[in-house]
Amino acid sequence: MTQTAHTPRYGMVVDVNRCVGCQTCTISCKHANDTAPGIQWRSVLDVEQGSYPDVSRFFLVVGCQHCAEPPCVPVCPTGATFQRDDGLVVMDYDTCIGCAYCAVACPYQARTIAHEADFYYGRPTVQEQHAAHPERLGVAQKCTFCIDRIDEAKDRGLTPGVDSEVTPACSASCIAQAITFGDFNDADSKVSQLARGHTFQINDFLKTDPQIRYLYDVPGSIDGLEDTAAHADAPAPGTDPLAGRLQTFWDMRAAMNFILGGLGSGFLLVACAVMLGGLVTPMAAKALLVAGAAIISLGLFFVFLKIGRKSRFLNAIRRPQTSWMSREIYVVAVMFPLIGLALLIGVSMLLAALIGVAAAAFLYCQARILHAAKGIPAWRAKPMPPLLVATGLAEGAGLYLAVAEALPGINPAGWVAGIGAAASAVALGAWMWLVAGARAHRIPPAARMCLIEASRLYVPAMAAGIVLLALVPPMGGIVVVLAGAAMKAWLITRAAYQQGFVLPAMPKRGSGRRASPPRLTGFRAGKPAGAA
Amino acid sequence: MSARSRSYKPQNERTKKPVYCYQCVAGPDLLRVEEEDGIATRVESNYTLEGKHPADGRVCVKAYGLIQKTYNPNRVQQPMKRTNPEKGREHDPGWQAISWDEALDIVAGKLREVRDKGLRDEAGYPRVAASFGGGGTPTQYMGTFPAFLSAWGAVDLGFGAGQGVKCYHSEHLYGELWHRAFIVSPDVPRCKFVINCGSNVEASGGVVGVWREADARAHGLRRIQVEPHLSVTGALAGEWVPIKPKTDAAFLFALIHRILIERNPQEVCDVAYLSEMSNSPYLLGPNGFFLRDPGSHEPLVWDEKIGKAVPYNTDGIQPALTGAGKVSGVEKGPDGQDWTHEDIPGITAFEKLIEHVRPYSPEWAQEKTGIAADTIRRIADEYLAHASIGETIEIDGRTFPYRPVAVMLGKGVNNGWGGYQTTWARTVLAVLVGALEVPGGLLGTNVKLVRPAHYRADSVRHGEDGFMHFPFNDTSRNGWQPKPKIRNAYNTLVPLAADSPWSPALGPAHLPWLFQKEQPENWPTATKPDIWFCYRTNPSISSWNAPEVAERIAEFPFTVAFAYTQDETNYMADILLPEATDLESLQLIRVGNTKMMQAFWKKEGWGIRQPVGKKTVDCMDMTEIATQLARRAGLLKEYVAAINRGSAGIKLKTDAYDYSLPADAQPSVEDIWGQVAKAASHEVSNGAEVRDLDWFRREGYMLREFPETNWFLAQTLREQGLRFELPYQERVYRHGRQLANRLHEAGVNWWDTQLDEYEPMPSYVSFPDIWIDHIREVGKDPDDFPLWALTARSMQYAWGANVGLPMIREVANNVAGHRGVILNPETAAKAGITDNDWVLITSPTGVTRGRAVLRNGIRPDTIVMIGQFDHWATPVAKDFNLPSLNSLTALALSLTDSTGSGSDITRVRVERDPDQSAKRKRRA
Repeated sequence: MTQTAHTPRYGMVVDVNRCVGCQTCTISCKHANDTAPGIQWRSVLDVEQGSYPDVSRFFLVVGCQHCAEPPCVPVCPTGATFQRDDGLVVMDYDTCIGCAYCAVACPYQARTIAHEADFYYGRPTVQEQHAAHPERLGVAQKCTFCIDRIDEAKDRGLTPGVDSEVTPACSASCIAQAITFGDFNDADSKVSQLARGHTFQINDFLKTDPQIRYLYDVPGSIDGLEDTAAHADAPAPGTDPLAGRLQTFWDMRAAMNFILGGLGSGFLLVACAVMLGGLVTPMAAKALLVAGAAIISLGLFFVFLKIGRKSRFLNAIRRPQTSWMSREIYVVAVMFPLIGLALLIGVSMLLAALIGVAAAAFLYCQARILHAAKGIPAWRAKPMPPLLVATGLAEGAGLYLAVAEALPGINPAGWVAGIGAAASAVALGAWMWLVAGARAHRIPPAARMCLIEASRLYVPAMAAGIVLLALVPPMGGIVVVLAGAAMKAWLITRAAYQQGFVLPAMPKRGSGRRASPPRLTGFRAGKPAGAA
Repeated sequence: MSARSRSYKPQNERTKKPVYCYQCVAGPDLLRVEEEDGIATRVESNYTLEGKHPADGRVCVKAYGLIQKTYNPNRVQQPMKRTNPEKGREHDPGWQAISWDEALDIVAGKLREVRDKGLRDEAGYPRVAASFGGGGTPTQYMGTFPAFLSAWGAVDLGFGAGQGVKCYHSEHLYGELWHRAFIVSPDVPRCKFVINCGSNVEASGGVVGVWREADARAHGLRRIQVEPHLSVTGALAGEWVPIKPKTDAAFLFALIHRILIERNPQEVCDVAYLSEMSNSPYLLGPNGFFLRDPGSHEPLVWDEKIGKAVPYNTDGIQPALTGAGKVSGVEKGPDGQDWTHEDIPGITAFEKLIEHVRPYSPEWAQEKTGIAADTIRRIADEYLAHASIGETIEIDGRTFPYRPVAVMLGKGVNNGWGGYQTTWARTVLAVLVGALEVPGGLLGTNVKLVRPAHYRADSVRHGEDGFMHFPFNDTSRNGWQPKPKIRNAYNTLVPLAADSPWSPALGPAHLPWLFQKEQPENWPTATKPDIWFCYRTNPSISSWNAPEVAERIAEFPFTVAFAYTQDETNYMADILLPEATDLESLQLIRVGNTKMMQAFWKKEGWGIRQPVGKKTVDCMDMTEIATQLARRAGLLKEYVAAINRGSAGIKLKTDAYDYSLPADAQPSVEDIWGQVAKAASHEVSNGAEVRDLDWFRREGYMLREFPETNWFLAQTLREQGLRFELPYQERVYRHGRQLANRLHEAGVNWWDTQLDEYEPMPSYVSFPDIWIDHIREVGKDPDDFPLWALTARSMQYAWGANVGLPMIREVANNVAGHRGVILNPETAAKAGITDNDWVLITSPTGVTRGRAVLRNGIRPDTIVMIGQFDHWATPVAKDFNLPSLNSLTALALSLTDSTGSGSDITRVRVERDPDQSAKRKRRA
């Protein structure tokens, strides 16, 4: 086989009619890539649909889809995750800081982070010692399409997908020939030929254009395919592998960044507005700035505690072109010196305006960080940016009012309460939009339940907050701050179910009404092996 | 910025050693193992076999466990001696590490002591017994240990593979009788329609099975999966038909009824095949035996041309399937009993078949099976629609009939009661449309009982009455063996088990365990073997009523266990010998040809297994252990002679070559396999390329062509003027009657129910009631056990001795059901059980615990426990807390069929375990 002259676009076609769920691909990947216990770059889901006596079962090969529009790449603040010209979405372990943003941005549950070395029997065997990959600790990892083999193919004049040695291990090991690897840019490649059959992409509505296409042809019984998208409303009795799991990458430490970052930046924004209005003494202005910066810093410190490779945290400034996380750092890099300057030379109108703008930018970055995490439907939903911005503003106003009550030199201007109430109302509206439109936002059932549950406290709390802001502003402020914090904590640690796997079509096979149609006239199509 | 791994070494610069994997009967699979710095690092397919191996040299998930299997820190690190004379689950063995010298001397000393007493004990049973794991796979790892056994003499292999005959038992015995099919497979690549009663081929068919089935599906193979639980195989079928457990025979009988009674057989059946290739036209006498020519004693058929009964082998005749006139002849009954008949109405076996299935209508079957009558009719009609009667296919320039339909049976279906009925019905279904042993149809894969065993086609030899020869164990007055040769009495009780080296393992292998506890009347005392060797088997886990079998094992006086890790069986051993495992030892074996389960190759030859990396424990190659034991027991000469005779897989001396080992020198492991390498390569190349061991170590295998046309036996029978012994079972019937006479003469009445099964055409029995009656037999109330419990194959765990490998567990857990007991949500709800709850499962004779796994793909009256677990000694596995059917099933005569097999099924009740914790299970 000769090398292709064009730029290849590597991908796979997985034949759902062939896959038997044996996990040979799963384990061969573990061998080829020396993955640690519990980490499966490739795995096969065992899926059941329907209820007795109308049941079907099928197996779904999953892993990194090497999307043409990979949501993990733009979010990465370091550039450790990038896409090559041949389409491979790859990881540079030496650059990654382990912030897990890519992991929450991936709608295919393809990424993992292992923070500690782990071995199957506790202590490493000689083989595990030999095949250890310390460079993967604390950083994101996922399927690479066995990138080293693909690059080796170039050196050896071989063709991935044709020559087994340079084909991804899962494909080269598959005992059902269910996983075919190759170049979609080569019209004659086997993947291109197979892709001309009936194929689908997982979660196609997210427009990520995954480069794993699923073939679901069942010759002789093609008439009558099952649309499985509806399954989302009818969760299986046990653990439904198609249903998204609750993400655990971003925990309370990450939530603290949003709780404190939103509060701190909202607070700065309000404080600066008040300063521009000349309603605080110079000393109090400085105190307000220090407080806002401290709150934001504390939030960022929590994030620092969470990342896998702390010594590399500065790498996070490398992707301002696309990553809201990098941008947030740049905003901080502008905002904090401005605050420092203000503390040194005094809070001028210009500085107050600039700090206010920076605080607004920070708040906006925070809102966009969550919204860009395509893997978490509740976060990527449209109401999320207005919800977070309005919440930050409401919290900022609320905190200001509470502080104004307690400290001298700060004027609890009535319009601040007005801003707080208005922002709270907007936040509440955005929340209602999120919850009421959850199905339209394709938020999975478990997350929807979670949002509804949160609403029971959040909605009355915010309503009360709004009323109190009008009647007893400091009290209302505290309520709004607490409600906002709880809501964000809830969103990040409780309602953060992953996308799961939505499949537009499956082979029709199973029992009862799911069974494929009978063939009573015999079947001649398809030449049997060995037939003359 | 680079994403390339710093440590990556190009594939072509890596050291990859070729070995084989034979961890299950679907092997061997040939693979390569990477070696770096003396460490076996990774497993991969052997890509050099693309185009040569039927699945391009790929290996399944189990082979990838081999690295972890080698470096498992829980391995027995060196030979061990028991210091606690008390044996049993509750007694710590008190292992004491000893040297190999000491260990081998202890075993050899015991062997010499036993030899001085005589090879057989007072009951006539061998004093030495041995159990090897299932399906003959241990032979592929035990080097020359068979040569040691051969040098020794009488050994009781009748404790089976360590459990009862948990296999495709009826298929093995009847399959070989009917079409040289120890294992049956559709001609999958050409097949278009399969009715599959519970055969979990996607889990048990091995790499080649999965490969071929997937290809066939892509080409349009339609499979109807008939089983109580939607298995991984059912998942891939076009249609899943949930059937009541153990009623498959009713379903299959109704299919035949549909074809013969409701459709017109003359139109829908392969009439020519029936009259030329089956015994359908044979005339029957009123006593149920063939009507024979008084002179030649050959069975008679009705010749339509001349309107007269003539011997079946008369030239130029046209045998009628129906409508014979008056006939005369003799019937040969049991024990020389003859009847002469004059001018009686001529009835053919085919007409008898029609009458036999008349009561088994789809409506009748609906009531038995829970499958709608119309569904049964439609499936039968689909079968006929796909049979393509009249079509031909050309393979390698030869024209064959093409009948792309088949019926498959699972283990639970053809093992134990109902096995005869189901195997018969499915083979008859093939015969009716001419699909037996033709392209597209139902084929055998290998032979184990008839000889010669190497090529199926060679085993097609002339027998009686126009059928193939079959070496039934003699039931005549003079030939019957009243005294069993070994404890399971296969040659005494089971005529169909024949008497090949495989027969001891195919006898009623659970009876020795049962008889240790309950001595039957008028039967030799069930003595315990003086020495029991066990290798790659764990009957304390894998037997029916495993906990009770463990108690019997504890009573054996001297057990030598080849031990990988501590397990529930070697816990009772006296000596542990850690043998070199899969990637640590040397052996050459035959590969290719046609083998279980679907290994249809177009090549045959030899392959190697060799050490990869340095040993990390003080283990010894089985070949070296065998040599050492032979020398120390004073049997070296006999041992070497056995190897020279072919005990290592090939004769080292034939007329064509002589690579024999010197008769009186102690050979090294390399000496032995070096000579085998030469003999093997000589055989494969006809002497053109004689290769040494190093060549095989490098290249991995040597192959030659094996024509695909060898796969189809109908042609071979036709060429020899033979026909299939179907549908009528005159010989089986006669043997049954004679066996009944012999046993009654000997005062044995406890086998009577089994004897009833010897019918010329099997009748339906309400099989589920057998298990319900057993509940009463043990004094309990059937109403207390409302559910059926079954098991299902785990491809990941089965046969690999890999329950101690966490990597296997990790990936197996991706397959539903591996975390507990599978229950229908409706069943669970009634018992107040939710997903992942701890549940208590109780049968009439046992109890087990595990977590509930709720799945819709199971009948509400059935639960399923995948694999065999409930370990309490095996490291890693003992923490699984998985339930096991083996803790629930009973060892009982009433649950044993006439071939000597039981079945993996029992009645149970399921309840929420009041203590929802794993500790509770461990305490229990």
